[in-house]
Amino acid sequence: MTGLAIRDLTAGIGTSQIIRGLDLEVPYGEIHALMGPNGSGKSTLCHVLTGHPRFEARGTVSLNGNDLLGLDVDERARRGVLQAFQYPTEIPGVKLQDLLVEAGEERGIPPEEMTERIERLAPVFSMEPFLERAVNDELSGGEKKRSELFQLAVLQPRVALLDEIDSGLDIDAVRQVAEAVKSMRAPDVAVLMITHYSRILRYVIPDRIHVMVRGRIVESGGPELADRLEAEGYEAWRE
Amino acid sequence: MRHAYEIFGKLDTPGGSEEAWKYVESDLSFDFDLVDTPGDPLPEGRFLRALTADAGRATLVDGHTVFASGSRLTALSELDDSRQVEIHSLLPPDHDRFAAARTAFSTDGIEVEIPAGTVEEAPVVIDVQAVTPGASFPAISVRVGENAEGSVVVVYRSPAELDALTSPQVGLHVAQGGRLRYLAIQNFGFATTAVIHQRAQVGRDASLRVGEVGLGGRLGRLDLGVLLEGDGGSVEVVGLSFGEHDQILDYRMTITHRGRSTSSDVYLKGAVEDRARSIFTGLLKIEKQAARSSAFETNRNLVLSEHAKAHSVPNLEILCDDVVCGHGSSVGPLDEDQIYYLLSRGLSRARAERLLVKGFFSEVVDRLPVQGPAQQVLDEVFGRFVEAQAEGRLG
Repeated sequence: MTGLAIRDLTAGIGTSQIIRGLDLEVPYGEIHALMGPNGSGKSTLCHVLTGHPRFEARGTVSLNGNDLLGLDVDERARRGVLQAFQYPTEIPGVKLQDLLVEAGEERGIPPEEMTERIERLAPVFSMEPFLERAVNDELSGGEKKRSELFQLAVLQPRVALLDEIDSGLDIDAVRQVAEAVKSMRAPDVAVLMITHYSRILRYVIPDRIHVMVRGRIVESGGPELADRLEAEGYEAWRE
Repeated sequence: MRHAYEIFGKLDTPGGSEEAWKYVESDLSFDFDLVDTPGDPLPEGRFLRALTADAGRATLVDGHTVFASGSRLTALSELDDSRQVEIHSLLPPDHDRFAAARTAFSTDGIEVEIPAGTVEEAPVVIDVQAVTPGASFPAISVRVGENAEGSVVVVYRSPAELDALTSPQVGLHVAQGGRLRYLAIQNFGFATTAVIHQRAQVGRDASLRVGEVGLGGRLGRLDLGVLLEGDGGSVEVVGLSFGEHDQILDYRMTITHRGRSTSSDVYLKGAVEDRARSIFTGLLKIEKQAARSSAFETNRNLVLSEHAKAHSVPNLEILCDDVVCGHGSSVGPLDEDQIYYLLSRGLSRARAERLLVKGFFSEVVDRLPVQGPAQQVLDEVFGRFVEAQAEGRLG
């Protein structure tokens, strides 16, 4: 398969297991939604895939057949594993423009080319006023989400991990974010969208929806699964 | 003079035991002969070169005023005696051993005068050099008249290997409605011991903006006192320091609010690496009659090597109820969450650290009151970090 493949993944902190034998595939060209109640391990999965050093992980995670788990965070990012964080860290003093240019240089992309990309994409995300401002510093919730999606667009992910990209937004902002997510669909990109509301799924129709409870995928299905979740909640999958 | 010399003889050499010298445990010697004849001036460095337009320049070498040009500048030796005495009594001789020595041995200095009602856009530039082994005690006096506006840049320097003691004195006086922007770049060589005494007095509705850049010195000490005397006066002190190798950078600040509705804001950032040490003790003093005043103090420190140390001791002494005060201080390594965020964008750890260090200092460099040499200051601190990183001296 081309895309992201996760097999029998277990992960946690110390002896506490949060991900418990998880299997998931997101092929290139598709957008998948991962849904589940609070505490089911969705955000942990994002961090484990990104490579946060706090979590110990076992199992197999591969991108196009190439192992990811053995790689450091930055190496994974350069291979295209990029996360839009639910709570992005504020970095006072570091301008968004500078961060992206440096990220480009690390990938061998000349600053002029990166600047061209930034200038082309900034209007799409209404990010022009934020390029010369510090990363995430004094941004509203909606601005942070836009900034995260904008960074991903500039850095061109192969696997986009969108952690609660619709949380805390008003309905207009959700629509905006949904448009940005839809625009990520590409033949060499796998998108995994984590959410615990089905609201954004009215605007982004995913190819597959996976339900995660207690560290495992308990059901997968087509977009119609969202309607069932909307009607019944997660009760049916809790023991 | 004789009196001061006697005091000098009686005062102890500074050590770690007294409060005013706490944390400065060092084996420095303070035993130097006075430099009688100034040595040859140093060639113009990058900080001075960055100041392309000026409203006058002066060069002080080994405590002697060797050059002064511009109508705002007068060598102290050319002022009448009573004014010279006044300038030299900025501090009581028993303040510490250096103040006593200066009162006894001070040779010359420079006075900057911005007359009442005058607005001077370009800065007056003062190049303070120590070039000869020995002791020197230069004095600088800046007077901004009523409703006048001006700026002054002082660059302190000495050759890298110069084993010398220098204790400059700086007096800033801003009269009613006046505005002064003052920037000091302390860039003495790593073998030079520097103890700077600086006092400022801010009149009614006057404003003082001070920038302090601390780069040099085996010991680089700044003893800064600001008195907000008139109602409505304000002071902002913005500073950064970067210590490496065996440097000790020592900042002692007292801001005294005496007038009503006075405001102060102290914002200092420092980094230490190798075995360097930094000390910040900042006292905000609000006197009883200083109602409706506000005072803020922030001191942030990056500790970049295992054996480097930073001490941060902010203090408040508030004798008036009707005031707004705040202080914050932090000491620690680079933030791991911020590093993780940058790694997750594909930056290597080394690049992420460089970006964070640059960002840390950019915030304060952008606020320096005279921007002329700001880029050179940022390049200098960033360059030090990059070199230490390349040589594996961090962590």
